[in-house]
Parts: sequence; C-alpha cells; structure tokens
Amino acid sequence: METIVSDTNRLRTFLKQMIVETLKLEDITAEKIDGDAPLFKEGLGLDSIDALELVVAVEKHFNVIIEDENVGKEAFASVNVLAGFIQKMFSGVSKSRMRLSG
Amino acid sequence: MDFTDRTVIVTGGTRGIGKAVALAFARQGARVAVIYGSDDQSAADMQVELETGGAPFLVLKGDVASPEAVDHVIGSVLQEWQRVDVLVNNAGIIRDNMLMFQPMADWNRVLDVNLKGTYLCSKAVLKHMVANRFGRIVNMVSPSGITGRAGQTNYAASKGAVIAFTKSLAREVARIGIGVNCVCPGVIATPMTDQLDPDSLAEMRRMIPMGRVGTPREVADAVLFLASDLATYITGQVLIVDGGLI
Repeated sequence: METIVSDTNRLRTFLKQMIVETLKLEDITAEKIDGDAPLFKEGLGLDSIDALELVVAVEKHFNVIIEDENVGKEAFASVNVLAGFIQKMFSGVSKSRMRLSG
Repeated sequence: MDFTDRTVIVTGGTRGIGKAVALAFARQGARVAVIYGSDDQSAADMQVELETGGAPFLVLKGDVASPEAVDHVIGSVLQEWQRVDVLVNNAGIIRDNMLMFQPMADWNRVLDVNLKGTYLCSKAVLKHMVANRFGRIVNMVSPSGITGRAGQTNYAASKGAVIAFTKSLAREVARIGIGVNCVCPGVIATPMTDQLDPDSLAEMRRMIPMGRVGTPREVADAVLFLASDLATYITGQVLIVDGGLI
C-alpha cells in the first residue's frame, strides 16, 4: 500500500476503483470518474450513506481514520483531494485521528 | 433460524432476557459474546451454561455507559472473531421514583446505561457492519417508552429515546443491508420484575389480556426473528411482546 500511496497517479486510480467497488456503482467505470469532479451532491452524486461506506473503506485500505464529519466533507471533495488527504495522513506526522482545529 | 458462523453480541447477557437471548443464539449455531456490568456470579453461571452448549463464546465485563469499556469489549470480540453480525442492546436498569423525588443521580444513571449504552455499542459495531454490508441491531425497549408509566419518567424517557434512535439509525443504514429494530417486552419473569412488589405484579397480571407474565424465551424468539433471514425487509420497527398489555 505504501507504494500506491507514494505514487499519486496510482493512488488516484486505486481510489476510483475503490469507489466503484465499495459502492457497487453500475452506471460508471473507474476510468470515467473525473478526478476533480465533486463526489457528493453534484459530480458523482454520492450521498451521506455512501460517505459511511467510503469512510470505512479508507480506514480498511489505508488505516486512515475519519471520525469528524467536517473533516470527511473536506477530504471527500473529489478523488484528487481525497488522494492528497490520504497521502498527508498516511505518511504524515502521525496516524492518529484527524480533528478539526479551532 | 440458522445463525451458524454469525457473531452475536448481547449486552446484559448474563441474566433474565439477555441470558435467554444469548443462549437461544448459541443453540442456533452463533458465536456469542455476552457483556455484563457487575454481577460476577451470574457471569460465572452463564459461562458454565455456554460451555455446556459447546458453541464458541465470550463472557466480557464492561459498563456499556463507558466509552472506554465499550471500545475494549467490542475490540475483544473483533480480535477473537473479526466480525460482528448481530448486536442486541439489552443492558438496561430501572431506578423508579416519582419525578418529584427522583434524584439526579438516578436520572443520569438510567439514561446513561439504557440510552447512552445503546448509542456507544451501536456506534462501536457499526463500521464493521458497514464494511461487511450486513448487520442486525436489536434494541430492547419497554411499554413504558410507548405509553409512559408513573414512577418511570427516567426509564420511560430512556426507552422512548431508544425507539426514536432505532428509527433514525434504521433510515441511515438500511441501504447498506443493516436492519435496526426494537423488541418491546411487556412484563416478563426476570430479575428485573423480581424487584417489583407483589401487589404491583398482581395488578399487572390483571391488566394483561393473556393473564400471565411472559417468559424470557418468548422474548428471545422475537429477537432471533428480527436478527434472522426471516426479517430481511423489516427495519425501524418495534415488535411488542407483551401478551396484549398495550
């Protein structure tokens, strides 16, 4: 997993595949997901229940824990933003739970 | 109702209804973890019964109102069996008083065990159920939580809140394949009803159309039903097992 995380393009591809498989999306393939498109509401049109599954999938694959809803909303803005978030948390200062500051 | 290879957690599972529920799941092939608060003797007795049954089991001590204790016991179950399929939030206490005489400590403790405990245990298992796209949560409530009962403002409030919690959580996770329901036992022959005075108990029997109190086994059957493949299209509901009382 470290190899994938350190390679931004590979990570983005992995995440697109993870989203399709975790949410059992039938109408779209991983290749067709725009990395900068919003994941929720517009773009891919995911909802809060999909968010639950993605939070669990991110923890399962990367051991990155998202407990705060606001942190989750920021991290899941798009595939590319999520990739950056995971890279930061995976090799970051700590693997502890990220909390909103202030 | 076959629960072979299913992992079941029953809080308050060493006495009364919880014990009947845990043993019923074990008889149907489940791996059962029972969590208890403080009665070590009942826990030891339960351990003997589960050993006799032969199915894998755990008996774990922990206060369901404590986040640390809940994390610890749920963590122990996951370490042993790597999954949770069914959670029965059965742990509950009563501290009856007319409101004017109800100490805040009694109000807080009943809400903590009955409501916060349900929240903590449900949250602790939820992500594992989400990961598996399967789960059944059954919350034990009470007729008091539906109709109210004098002397039980705290208990009724906690159980009414658990009903609302159940209906809300059911809507959150239904699409992921997780069912969340309540079982509402009426007057059942258990250590909790043993605390009632004989006059109250006799009056209750007169009010029950079936003319008798229920058995823990009759409640356990309802819990197993809601956790089984016979109830896959049922969620957010309250199944009342009370001999027609309410």
